[in-house]
Amino acid sequence: MKTPLLEIEDLCARVADKEIIKGFNLTINEGEVHAIMGPNGAGKSTLSHVLCGKPGYEITSGTVRYKGKNLLAMAPEERAREGIFLIMQYPVEIPGVPVTTFLKHAVNAIRQHRHEPELDTMEFIKLLREEGKKLGINPDMLKRPINVGFSGGEKKRLEALQLAILKPQFSILDEADSGLDVDAMKVVAEAINAERTEHNAMLVITHYQRLLKDIVPDYVHIYADGHIVASGNKDLALEVEEQGYAQFLKEK
Amino acid sequence: MTTEQEKPEIADESGDKYKYGFVTDIASDTAPKGLSEDIIRLISQKKGEPDWLLERRLEAFRFWQKLKEPTWAKLSYDKIDYQDLYYYSAPKQKVAPKSLDEVDPELLKTYEKLGIPLKEQEVLSGVVAVDAVFDSVSVATTYRAKLAEKGVIFCPISEAIKEYPELVKKYLGSVVPYTDNFFACLNSAVFTDGSFVYIPKGVRCPMELSTYFRINAQNTGQFERTLIIADEGSYVSYLEGCTAPQRDENQLHAAIVEIVVLKDAEVKYSTVQNWYPGDKDGKGGVYNFVTKRAACRGANSKVSWTQVETGSAITWKYPSCILQGDNSVGEFYSVAITNNRQQADTGTKMIHLGCNTSSKIISKGISAGRSNQTYRGLVKVSPNADNARNYSQCDSLLIGPDCGSHTIPYVENRNKTAKLEHEATTSKISEEQLFYCQQRGIGEEEAVSLIVNGFCKEVMQHLPLEFAIEAAKLINISLEGSVG
Amino acid sequence: MGELVQKVELMGSDLPWLEGLREKGAVFFEKQGLPTAKTEAWKYTRPRDLLADDFILPPLEEEKENACTCGEHCTCGHHQREGEDFLLQAYVIDFENGALEHIAHNLPRGVTIKPLIEAIYEDDGIRKYLNKSFDMEKNPFAALNTAYLEQGLFITIEKNVMLDKPLALVHHSFSCHENLMFHLRNVILLEEGAKAEIVEYYNYSGNEKSRYFTNIVNELYIGRHAELNHYKFQDEAFKAVHIAYNAVKVKGEGRYNGFCLQRGGNLARNETHVSLTEERAEAEINAAYIMNGWAVIDTTTDVEHLAPYTKSTQLVKGVVGGQAKGVFQGKIHIAPMAIKTEGAQLHKALLLTDEAEIDVKPELEIYNDDVKCSHGAASGELDADQLFYMRSRGIGEEEAKQILVDAYLQDVLEKINNQDIKDWLAAKAKLAK
Ligand SMILES: Nc1ncnc2c1ncn2[C@@H]1O[C@H](COP(=O)(O)OP(=O)(O)OP(=O)(O)O)[C@@H](O)[C@H]1O
Ligand SMILES: [Mg+2]
Repeated sequence: MKTPLLEIEDLCARVADKEIIKGFNLTINEGEVHAIMGPNGAGKSTLSHVLCGKPGYEITSGTVRYKGKNLLAMAPEERAREGIFLIMQYPVEIPGVPVTTFLKHAVNAIRQHRHEPELDTMEFIKLLREEGKKLGINPDMLKRPINVGFSGGEKKRLEALQLAILKPQFSILDEADSGLDVDAMKVVAEAINAERTEHNAMLVITHYQRLLKDIVPDYVHIYADGHIVASGNKDLALEVEEQGYAQFLKEK
Repeated sequence: MTTEQEKPEIADESGDKYKYGFVTDIASDTAPKGLSEDIIRLISQKKGEPDWLLERRLEAFRFWQKLKEPTWAKLSYDKIDYQDLYYYSAPKQKVAPKSLDEVDPELLKTYEKLGIPLKEQEVLSGVVAVDAVFDSVSVATTYRAKLAEKGVIFCPISEAIKEYPELVKKYLGSVVPYTDNFFACLNSAVFTDGSFVYIPKGVRCPMELSTYFRINAQNTGQFERTLIIADEGSYVSYLEGCTAPQRDENQLHAAIVEIVVLKDAEVKYSTVQNWYPGDKDGKGGVYNFVTKRAACRGANSKVSWTQVETGSAITWKYPSCILQGDNSVGEFYSVAITNNRQQADTGTKMIHLGCNTSSKIISKGISAGRSNQTYRGLVKVSPNADNARNYSQCDSLLIGPDCGSHTIPYVENRNKTAKLEHEATTSKISEEQLFYCQQRGIGEEEAVSLIVNGFCKEVMQHLPLEFAIEAAKLINISLEGSVG
Repeated sequence: MGELVQKVELMGSDLPWLEGLREKGAVFFEKQGLPTAKTEAWKYTRPRDLLADDFILPPLEEEKENACTCGEHCTCGHHQREGEDFLLQAYVIDFENGALEHIAHNLPRGVTIKPLIEAIYEDDGIRKYLNKSFDMEKNPFAALNTAYLEQGLFITIEKNVMLDKPLALVHHSFSCHENLMFHLRNVILLEEGAKAEIVEYYNYSGNEKSRYFTNIVNELYIGRHAELNHYKFQDEAFKAVHIAYNAVKVKGEGRYNGFCLQRGGNLARNETHVSLTEERAEAEINAAYIMNGWAVIDTTTDVEHLAPYTKSTQLVKGVVGGQAKGVFQGKIHIAPMAIKTEGAQLHKALLLTDEAEIDVKPELEIYNDDVKCSHGAASGELDADQLFYMRSRGIGEEEAKQILVDAYLQDVLEKINNQDIKDWLAAKAKLAK
């Protein structure tokens, strides 16, 4: 029996008076990995932002339930503490706040929420170093202010590191692969796969079949003009890679 | 949470946020209210001062009577009635304490409560020597013996006047003359106590020196006077902290800090200013009108001001550097936070007179609530100051729709070889940054404090370590209630 | 002080409201007096020369002949100007020694240009705008200007009219009369959707030692969606005093784009005060100055953001030689309700000589948290290595300096949208006159 983790029904949302998400439906069960592909500007990042509660978006209709609860009523940090994690397409720079300080606050806020004891500094640093090493992040980088001056690939590695540390139940990867070199892609995919369990689920947003070879999805959806226009298994991604989106757009 | 940004316990009985707001119940010896030549004579007499100093005081007082209180700052407050204040208040003591054992235990307790240990043996590391100034007088100075071994003089200025009259006579008022401004002039007439520091030639002061100011008595102005002399090739790091009880009426604080830096010497002066800021409706709080100035007299001398300003209802303060010696260096690092109805008009002056002088200004202002904050600075390059350099950066962060933030840097350059650069930005905390933190599970208030601490980082890292931790806590406390 | 305010008979003295207004101007000026070192708005620029008591209004036409004081070697003949005319394609309006001489014919439909006094007599609409854009209590020279209201223009550009050529207000000063003062007032109205370019050119071509005082107030009203490009070149005599105050009001989605090049005068100040009064109004203020001798040239700006989503940018660059002093004061004010505003300002100056001086006071005054504002200021000298490099390739020192100065001013000149005007001003922005 499958347990639904995230249920999106007829979701419509707009930003700056512009309709972006138009009647979006999707249910993701525990243990499943869904991939979403779609042309630039289709609204993929918008969907990920709406799911995480980023301000500035107006939800005009529809519902989203997460673990059976009304997700849209929750504050962004509550969602995060409940296990939703977003690898952002464009991670934000925060001058003056070192990665370690930042992550320590995050880890402990989430642990507190889960009624787990807080990590002390030594344990935390050890954990960070270990996980960082796996992702090819050297300790010096952890002392720098978060994302400030990081290269595109470094930012993505750091996002993956946070995923590994915060251990979410539902992860959204918005172009986790962009900016990564071939080797880094493998390493990042490995880190992400390590979080795949029968209870955890993922939504993988990508333009390339490449990433889906490493993170094999159970379902692939084509997202265009604000909603899903086609769904299938991993072969659908191959089809897109070969033929582009034109056929799906025409079908509509 | 057990991080360096950890929030301290701040709940006291009244549930108020200013944890230093208590009053010490101690008998005081107070001069009558009001200001006149007689009062000045009385102060001078109580302190057993030499005639030359009394003369200087009276001269200053006569000049002050001709001056008008300045109005150019972006500050608004009710007119101060200078005749309605006490100008002298000292805790009653039979004789001046010779050692800490003789200090009134009530006073020791006060400083303990404030987190300032005055008992030397209690300080494990023994790296900070403290001069504690309570209302108008210095009540205790620690580690004097240990400092004396190196020839370092660290004592109340009232004592220095008697013990080292030559040094005091030579330097007192040489950086800030009584004619300088209204408040400095007032201070020159009525100052009561403060710290005196002399670091002899070639000596690196073996520990941080610190003065801790406390206003206790009601309706009493505090006019302290600090004089620091760093002789050739010496070095000292000096810390200043301040608090006051929570009172409904305003308290006046008009201090002068003078620093003389001779050839190859360096002085690092750090302030954490946490006078009582008044309540959230702007009732009460300290009026902080301070003149701080350092003269880099010798070649290769250096002065660095670092300040974290979170307290006071009104702040009027421009720690300055006169870069006279060739190759001298002046630095100003400042974090100022205003919340509720606080007002601050603060900044610095860098006066380049010598060749190859350089200065750096990093100012971070945070305004929240209904507060108003102004950065006001001057960079001046005289015709002879060849190859002067200045870099200034003033960033302001606004929290909430009702606060104000103003930036007024004056730049006056009369030398073509000078290279001067000024940058200023004003913005609010970015929603993107806030969302990023929240997405990682960090609550809004904590996220704001993280971002603000990051914003101030460049300044905070110039504070001595223990001070930096204290300052980070203060920043969080000051911002409480400003979010959401 | 009373010397600058004189009892004279001006046109329109039969209109009580106008006389009343002039009276008020005189009173406000006398109340404030000439700015001193204590006047914050004039901190670095002291119009000391105006303390003299010998300034006079230009003599009337019929008195001109007799009033000539230039003596034996009068080269001015019948006081004909010799200076260069304005050569660019434009609708030209000529002023001579502060008096209107000629207005271009063939103006396109929807554009009216009237002498100010005529517009005042006709009284069809000007009173809504005249003297309504600034505060006389805070602007002594604008008050003085009001005391002498008479000369100047009232220009209206009707709804949606787009001018095909710039309007050029060309001021020739060449009088041999000493110590004249001119007070000019232009009221310029761009109705909704109108678009125009206006060039002001202050050109001196008389006896090189002439001393005079030009005091200009422009009141510029930019309607919704309208756009004004306002260019100015100030090239007064080296003993002249030139004080200009531009009061600009911009309505919703309107745009003001100003550029001012100052090169002349003993004391010159171009002050621009823009109020962005409605949503999405925008202003761009750019300026350059290049100076020698012992001149003081002042560029002062004040941009008030009074409505949400308003935007302003400023770039000012100066080159100071001789014993001259450059002054820049720039203020960005953001009102409490003006959310989502952006203001940016940058001033840079180059000092060429040991005696040159630059005084700068940028100012941000912000009363709301939803803003993005910045300012920057820098000053320095010519790069010695670059100079040497060029000289080592055989380029003479003066020429090499000019090349570097050209490069320095390049970016601000690039802000001029009109190519002809850009070329004209670039050619004028030279170290040697
Ligand atoms: N604040 C905004 N104001 C106006 N339009 C916006 C705003 N934010 C996003 N949009 C528009 O919404 C559309 C969807 O953007 P979104 O970033 O979700 O696309 P995407 O599918 O993630 O594209 P890509 O593949 O390029 O990442 C785009 O057309 C974008 O320009
Ligand atoms: Mg995207």
